[in-house]
Amino acid sequence: MSIGSLDALSAYGRSIGLPAAKTGGIGSAAPAGGAAEGSFGAVIGNMVTETAQSLRAAEHASAQQVAGKGNLIDVVTAIGAAETALDTMVAVRDRVVSAYGEIMRMQI
Amino acid sequence: MGMDPTIAVSASGLRAQSLRMKVIAENLANADSVATTAGGDPYRRKIATFRTIMDGKSGGGGVSVSGITGDRTEFPRVYQPGNPAADAAGYVRTPNVNMLLEAADMKAAQRSYEANLNAIESARNLTMRTLDLLK
Repeated sequence: MSIGSLDALSAYGRSIGLPAAKTGGIGSAAPAGGAAEGSFGAVIGNMVTETAQSLRAAEHASAQQVAGKGNLIDVVTAIGAAETALDTMVAVRDRVVSAYGEIMRMQI
Repeated sequence: MGMDPTIAVSASGLRAQSLRMKVIAENLANADSVATTAGGDPYRRKIATFRTIMDGKSGGGGVSVSGITGDRTEFPRVYQPGNPAADAAGYVRTPNVNMLLEAADMKAAQRSYEANLNAIESARNLTMRTLDLLK
């Protein structure tokens, strides 16, 4: 099943792998503030944008339905897609944030 | 993030089946619609035909209604000389709608719709359970 959540998982994997390979450590890539490609900020930023897009599509479909121009099936599938995107985004964010928390708590 | 292709395919099934349901409702509603002029054609039963649509992007083959055609069955003739639609011999041609056939068709459309709903639910469950791996 080629679902979006799997893409998100691979994006998450890349976000962990890329900075470590390029700059030699997660710590040096993280403070870039979302600018660097593959950084935590960029990954989450992309996911938020995609989620916002699907939420907007769902809202558009709902508005069309209320106006009597839409199709119930389109509304349901659009909302379902938005919900999945949001759940994926939240799950990946929680996971990455908890990984950072783990690193912050590390004994030096 | 594109929509899950499984859900897109099942949604096309839902759309096609609901259109089929609409056609069946039309047939049932017009089961007694005869011509308004003498000797004219009554309501002709409609049939929705389906075809596969290939979506190159997702690689999924959905379904769509390719057309709504008329049933070629003969119109049953009923002797009703007083009816305004009766021909010179007093026969009225009635719609070729068979209630039993429509009821069976309706049941099939309903079951097909439910099957598509179940497919969507299963696909969603799989996605959610995959996501649960992260939690």
